[in-house]
This record gives sequence, structure tokens and C-alpha cells, in this order.
Amino acid sequence: MKRREFLRNASLASSALMIPNFLRASFFGPQHMSRIGKTLVIIQLSGGNDGLNTIVPFEDDVYYNARPRLAIPKNEVIRLGNTNLGFNPVLSDLQGIFEEGEMSIINSVGYPNPNRSHFRSMDIWQTGSASNEYWTTGWLGRYLDSECRNCMPYHALNVDDDLHIALKGMQKNGFAVKNLSKIKKAAGSPYLQAISKHHHHDHDHENVEYLYKTLIDTQSSAEYLYEKSKVHTSRVTYPNHKFAKDLKQIAELMTADADIKIYYASLGSFDTHAGQRGKQERLLKNYAESVKAFIADLKQNGLFDDTLIMTFSEFGRRVQQNAGNGTDHGTANNLFLMGGQLKTAGIYNDAPNLSDLDQGDIKYQLDFRRIYADVIDQWLDGDSKQILGHSFESLNLI
Amino acid sequence: MNDWKKIKHLYLRAGFGLSQDELVSKKKSKWSKEINQILRIKDQSFELSTPQEFSSMVDGVQLQKGESDDNKEKVQKAKRLTPLVNADWVRRMATTQDPLLEKMTLFWHGHFACQSKLPNMASIQINTLRKHALGNFRDLVVAISQDPSMILYLNNQQNSKKKPNENFARELMELFTIGIGNYTENDIKEAGRAFTGWRANPIKGKAEFIERRHDFGNKTFMGKTGKFNGEDIVDIILEQKQTARFISEKIYRYFVNARINDGQVSQMTDVFYESNYDISKLMQFVLKSDWFYDDVNMGVKIKSPIELLVGMMKTLKFEFKAHRPLLGLQKNLGQVLFNPPNVAGWPGDKAWIDNATLLTRLNMPGLLLVMNHRKGGKGKNNKLRNSISDLSLDISYFQNAPAGLGDAEIASRMVDELLQGPLTVRKEVLYARLRGTTQADRNKEILYRVMSLPEYQMC
Repeated sequence: MKRREFLRNASLASSALMIPNFLRASFFGPQHMSRIGKTLVIIQLSGGNDGLNTIVPFEDDVYYNARPRLAIPKNEVIRLGNTNLGFNPVLSDLQGIFEEGEMSIINSVGYPNPNRSHFRSMDIWQTGSASNEYWTTGWLGRYLDSECRNCMPYHALNVDDDLHIALKGMQKNGFAVKNLSKIKKAAGSPYLQAISKHHHHDHDHENVEYLYKTLIDTQSSAEYLYEKSKVHTSRVTYPNHKFAKDLKQIAELMTADADIKIYYASLGSFDTHAGQRGKQERLLKNYAESVKAFIADLKQNGLFDDTLIMTFSEFGRRVQQNAGNGTDHGTANNLFLMGGQLKTAGIYNDAPNLSDLDQGDIKYQLDFRRIYADVIDQWLDGDSKQILGHSFESLNLI
Repeated sequence: MNDWKKIKHLYLRAGFGLSQDELVSKKKSKWSKEINQILRIKDQSFELSTPQEFSSMVDGVQLQKGESDDNKEKVQKAKRLTPLVNADWVRRMATTQDPLLEKMTLFWHGHFACQSKLPNMASIQINTLRKHALGNFRDLVVAISQDPSMILYLNNQQNSKKKPNENFARELMELFTIGIGNYTENDIKEAGRAFTGWRANPIKGKAEFIERRHDFGNKTFMGKTGKFNGEDIVDIILEQKQTARFISEKIYRYFVNARINDGQVSQMTDVFYESNYDISKLMQFVLKSDWFYDDVNMGVKIKSPIELLVGMMKTLKFEFKAHRPLLGLQKNLGQVLFNPPNVAGWPGDKAWIDNATLLTRLNMPGLLLVMNHRKGGKGKNNKLRNSISDLSLDISYFQNAPAGLGDAEIASRMVDELLQGPLTVRKEVLYARLRGTTQADRNKEILYRVMSLPEYQMC
């Protein structure tokens, strides 16, 4: 029996485990494992976040020379321990999380023969392919295919109007929803209810069956998620913007024990070709404030030890600033992991070497799929070799 | 089998379904007449045009090294015109007298999947595809290798004798012609050298052959050695019968059935190869084959978003005032022309469907027919709804059905006209508890219900 099935059965047997997470925390203390087990939260920074102005190499002259009008002055950087890296000051909300050992910063993550198109590079990150392969399914979708044959689609929840390819598998898909009451209304219109109720199976027409099954699953998923979203209202104050609202929604569903293993959220507009400082710092501040509230919420409900948050962007940006005080598309970038039980908190590897660039861009040191492999094997109890098509050496991160 | 069902199948697959007027004229027609009608191309000369503002916007812009911010801004503005080309093409699909030609063009757009950012290059590429859509496959492949959008998309822009870039050569073989496993890595390298020197001038929308960038040396490709250029490479690839097989399979999956029937694809391969890659002959063979009309092949394909959208435009005779809603619908449905997920194109079939795209599909008729007069509300979907409200729509054929027919007969009639596979819900669901008091209103409600069925997604 798989662990989660065991937990589900156990929860039926034991009335103590029937207590929802948000109450359980106060009964058993925050160390108690949540009934839903480990949860993965992916945060995608779309548009190519400039990693160098996020985690600043403040001891590196090359950085300051390449960015006369864009670099973060050394005296403003928030130092990260005794390292040569520091936070952009707008990330001050993450300082406590870093110091508590709840954040790993992994530098120079990328892949061979990097592609500088947003579209293509995001495709590579979401499918988990090499840059000369074109895959039609996503890495998390394939996880659902192999590990989650009987799960409902909401088992991997994409907080968005469209389903990203990352959550599309061959047989199974994740579930996309931005606004729960809206989707409940759209899926549950009287007419759509009537046709799913009065549908009779037609085994000669596999695709029609597939459409009805998707419709019926969508209706019950929308219903389920909507009900779960009403169970618990967060007691943490979140900042007032969309991304924070998405994270709040996730925290509320987690606290309500919704049977969701993977959440996928995104924050956009990092494509800062011109006038970067103001734009990027607004977004980063938004990110840091929201994540801080989210983590506080998870801690309050005893969920943080069972949560892994991974933040990535499709690429970093050019080391040299451009004439418009912005930066153009680059390659390797930093990636963050956050959680209550990280094996390797802190700065995982050396700061990018800005004196050894590839056409003005940071050379990748770690393939992003090695991180995926650890997430799949160590966190999701999956088989990374099967899901990624190759075996990738573990980084021993999680 | 009756002619009517075959005619519907023919127009759904070789075109985009039937308009209201066509429903009237084709119902009593003969298949033998319609097959010739659809195969005879009436206007091969139609071309999409580049929006007029484009040339004034980018006049004198040089997109070479060291482009200025001023230039970049002009180009950004020009890129915003590309959706106009997209909408023009969609409208053409809905109104053309040559549905097969447009359907083939759409097929090749998915096959030679390519992102076009500038409006001039988008229209040029589609015109090139249309020109050869039913012509010779060799000419089509050569033309696409010299197409400015493709040159930029697959990095032939950077492919020179000094620094070869093999991206185009790799995809040419893997995805466009012969398929993976039928060539070596060395073949890719050598083919890459043969395509050196072709560059795009994005603003002019032209490709140019720059002699000094071309590698005129000997190449060894698929066992042959010579001073090959790109056309020679295409010829050598097409000598392999596997290329005819690869394309036949893809056409089979697109036009006949996502599940391959080996024997039928072999027949197609022979026809295609022996005709020296005549696309028109291949399509004639398919559309005239008995097996094309087999029950296992009818009503079993999930319409692509474009097929669905264009089909609805024909059924409902609808037209938006602006072009934005046509783009918005494509995005929500999961297929935006000129913007395939990657060079492998749209995977199609079940991959079109997830919870979000399915709900968009099933709620679209409601948005168009029922809610199009309502406005208000915030948020993305309401924005879409508001822009959808600026539409004109004419469903007189369905509303003015012959007098004396009751709701049940009307429902049966629409099922017959608009669905190709069997109905899998109780028919009463289509006319139970209608709200309308006039027959015209009731017919409109039945129409909405039929088009909101999962069965309507099939062709």
C-alpha cells in the first residue's frame, strides 16, 4: 500500500486524525504531520527574472562594472551570512526565512545549449526536455501518469485560467482554476449538469467518452474545491495583490486537508528590458511579502514541515545591462527551495562566475532536471528516471 | 451509406463543416458531385495581406546589429498588428469557396510549426504554404527552407560557413520530412552546412542568399557526396520512401483517424511516392477511398480549436467588430495561430482537452448565443464576454425552421445537421423545459444545447 493510501485509510479509522489540520496544529503541536502528506508548491516567475539583482554578488567588481546604472549598491544589500551574496533589499521579508534555515538558494541552474526565447525556454523547463527535444507532456503531468493513475485532476492544481504544459500528462492532467466560484458556476450550469447526468456510455467512441469523463471530473472537482475552500479562512494577513491571493487560496486549501499534492502558481512580467529597477523590485517585493505571509500561514497550521516551495524562472538575464537601463534575455539563473525540512539550507553552491561567461551569459553549473529528480524521488515518492527519461545525479537537496 | 452522412464527413474533414446556406444546398446533393466540387480549386490566387499600417510603421528600420531603442519600439508596435493577420486568416477559413485549400494550409501550418512575430512574415508564410498546399511537397519543403519566419525561428539566420547552426537541418529531418531514426548525427551536420547562407530580412519580409556565408564545399549526406545545397538535400531526403510514409501518416492522423491503420497508410505512401510527392493526388486518393467513410473513422476526431471556432462561425454566421475576441477565444481554447507550443506543432487529439479548455468549448455557444447582450463585471472572462458582446450573428436558418415541427423534431433535425457521431444523452435533454415562448426562441435554445454538447466537439 502506498503511503498516502495508508494515510487516507488511517484517517477513516482514527477519529483523532479526522480533525482538520487547522485545529490539529493546536492539539498536537506544529510538529505533527498533516494528513495529506508532503505537498509541493511551485512558483513560476514568468518573463525571466534577473537573478543577479535578486541574489546580488556584492563582492564582484564584474557585476558593478557591467551594470553601472542597475547594480544594487553594496551597502544596501542584505547580507546572507558570511557569504559573498546578498538579497536585494526589497526581499527583506525573506530574511527571517533564510536565517531560520528554511531556504536554499541554488546558483547557476540551467541546461546545455540554452535557448533565449521565453516561449521555448519555458517549454523546456515545464516539459523537462533537453533543449533539442520537443515534448508534448510536462514533468508533473508525467508524474501524475505514473504515480497517480486514480487521482482526481485537482491532485495537481494550477492556480491559473489555463493549464500549463507542466501539468499535462499523456493520460492524466492537472486542474486549472483561478477563481473557484466562477469555475463552479461554469461547470455546474443546469444544462451541463443535465447532460452529464443523462449521458450513457458509448464504448465505441473513446474520444466522446473522454470528453464526458473530463466534464464529469471537472464538475466534481470544481464542487470539491469550492467546498474545501469554504472550510477554513486564513488568519494571516496577506498583502493586497493577486499573487498573494493565489497563495492564500493555496494555504486555505492545504489547511482544509484538500487532497492536493501539487500546487502551481505564477507571478509574471519579469521581462525587464527597460527601466528594470523599479519594475523588478515591485515584483520581487510582491513575491517576498506574499511568500512570507504564506509561510507564516503554513506554520500556524502545522503544515510547513510537509511543504516544499520551489521558485524558478525560465532564464536569468544578461550580465551586462543594456542602454535602456534594463537587461536582455540570459541563461542560467538561481532557483529557490523553501520548506521546514530542507537538507541543505543556505547557499547551496558558489555564486556565478561572472568572469567566465558564454556570449555574455552565465554558464550553467547545475542542470535543472537534477533538482526535478530530487523533487520527484525524495519529495513526491516518484521515479525520476522514468518521468524525466534519464537518470540525473541527486543533489541531495531534500 | 447515405450520401448526406458522407457529404457531412467530407466537409468536416476536408473543410470546416457546413454553413447555414450549405446545409440547405448539400442535404439533397450527391456525394459524387460534392467530392468533385471540393477537389476543384476555384481561386488559387487569394493571399493574406499585410496590414497597411505596417510599412509606414517600420519604414527605414534596420534590424541588424546594434539596433536602436527607437527601432525596437517601432518593431514592438508593428508586432501588435500580427493578430490582424491571424483574424483575417480565420475569417478566410470561414468564408472561402475552397475549404480544402484552406484546411491543407492549416495542416501545413501545424506541420511546419513556426512562430511568426511580425505581421508581414506571418502573412508571407501562410501565402507560401497555401501556394504549395496542394502542389508538390518538394516545392513546399524548399519554399519553407527559404521562408523568413522559419529562418528566424530555427536559427538559419545564424547558420554560416564559419559557424554552422544545425537547428533547421535537424528539424527538417526529424519533424518535417523523414522522422527520427532515419538519419545520423553526421547527416544533420552535413545538411546544416548545405543550408548555410540563407538569411531573413525581417522588415522586408524576404529571405536572401548571402553567398559569402554559404559553404560551397563537399558534403556527405545519406551516403552521397557532392557540393550539395539545401535543395539537393531535400531531393536526397525525398528519395527515401520513408519520407512519403512519414507525411502520409501525419495526414492520416489529421484527416482520417488519430489511430493509424497500417494498410491504409501503406496505400497512401505508395500513391504519394509514385506520384513524385503530388499532394493533390494524395488527398484525392484519401478523400475518394471507401475506408475514409468507414464508421470507425466518422465522428471520432476531436475538433481542433480552430476547426471548432471556424465551424461555429459558419454555423452561427457570426462576426466580431474587433479582431481581439477571435484571438482571445483561440487562447482560451488552447490554439493560437502563428504561436504553436514548439516546432513539433500542436499535439492534437486528446491533448486539446483539459478542464479549462473543455469548459471554454462547452460554454462558448452560451456566450455567443445567450449572453452576448449582457455586459458588466470585472476580470478576464468578463473582458472576453464584453468583447464577445460586440458581435453580429445570424441564425435565421435554425430559427425559421418549417412550421409545424415540434421541439423534438427540431432537436432531431439539428442533431442530424450539426453532429456527426451518435448522441450519448437522452434526446429529451435537448428540449426539456425550454424557456422561450415563440418557436424561434425555442429553436435558439435547442441550437445552444446541441452546440454545447461534448458530441459537438467531434468531427
